[in-house]
Amino acid sequence: MRIAILALALMAGGQSLVACQSSDVSRELGARCDLNSECDERCLTPSTDWPGGFCTITCDSDADCPSDAACINEETSAVCAYTCFTDPGCQFLGAGYKCSERDHHGATAGKVFVCRGG
Amino acid sequence: MSRRLSALAIMLAATGVASADEPATPPTDATPTPTPAPDTTPPVTAPTPTTPPAAATTTTTETTSASPEVHSTVAPPDMSDQGMGASVGIVTGGRDTPGGLKIAGHYLYQLSDQDWFDGVAAFTFGGGDAACFRDRMDNFLCDHGLADGNAVEVAANVRRFLGGKGDFWPFLRAGVGLAIVRFGDDDVTGLAIPLHLGGGIRVSVAPAVAVTAHVDLEVGLARFNHTLGLEPQLGASIAAGAEFKL
Repeated sequence: MRIAILALALMAGGQSLVACQSSDVSRELGARCDLNSECDERCLTPSTDWPGGFCTITCDSDADCPSDAACINEETSAVCAYTCFTDPGCQFLGAGYKCSERDHHGATAGKVFVCRGG
Repeated sequence: MSRRLSALAIMLAATGVASADEPATPPTDATPTPTPAPDTTPPVTAPTPTTPPAAATTTTTETTSASPEVHSTVAPPDMSDQGMGASVGIVTGGRDTPGGLKIAGHYLYQLSDQDWFDGVAAFTFGGGDAACFRDRMDNFLCDHGLADGNAVEVAANVRRFLGGKGDFWPFLRAGVGLAIVRFGDDDVTGLAIPLHLGGGIRVSVAPAVAVTAHVDLEVGLARFNHTLGLEPQLGASIAAGAEFKL
């Protein structure tokens, strides 16, 4: 019994150690991409607006996005993008990204700051 | 090795009794060390003419006639030289380690009084969708869940019994495996070398049948395709099974 508890404790410790290596981005939001198949739902292909490509999900409101993202209007649809306050807050996405004001989709506030290229 | 030692011990005991009964036997250097010369051996046997030799003889004959009973102190008495078994359980993975339902076949072969080789062929069946992606530094990463992926593994383990009571025999188990790991939705395949360390309990339920339950910690490395490269493997499993004498 003690051995089982020890094994599970080691397992939990090891998993948390591995978890520390995980990325800030995911297939759902923020991963680099060239194709939709590289993302959970949709790839905004590499461009000056989305340097390196950007995995995202379509949305109707902020409630459809992860907690650190907002729903913005992007061309013909609405997608989730990371919210920010200043340009350094977008550095984790790499070169070309800055904090810019966009139309907030499905919200009364009208505008929101998100990480985006261009 | 220790099997030979036990056999040697039995032989020595037998020769010791024989030398007590027959002082002229050649291996006088084995047991009667205090006897300086063959002439002094009759006085040694003389004071104990009836009772001690009789008791010694009976105990010796018991041990020699029932040699498997020597094993009963360190391993289940119903364990035979060879056995086969099957087990089913769950294994937790995560990230690049597969997890899910684990079905395994076991082949047991006696190595010593308390150690058995435990050869395992195991299949892990997990689920999960694609979970690999490129991070912003363009590193290919996977973030699979606890029960994602599939694996086929062969492993060589050693099971050591720790001494038990009645039908219940706890054991430790350690070994190394070779596995093919696959996350189909990501088209990610790897070759893993996991080390196993765990323990369990064996319970005899019939003369030739026992049930087992065991937990294992799996730690290792795997080499994957794409640009994933070398990744750690970390998992834990819990399983129950049955084994039979061959």
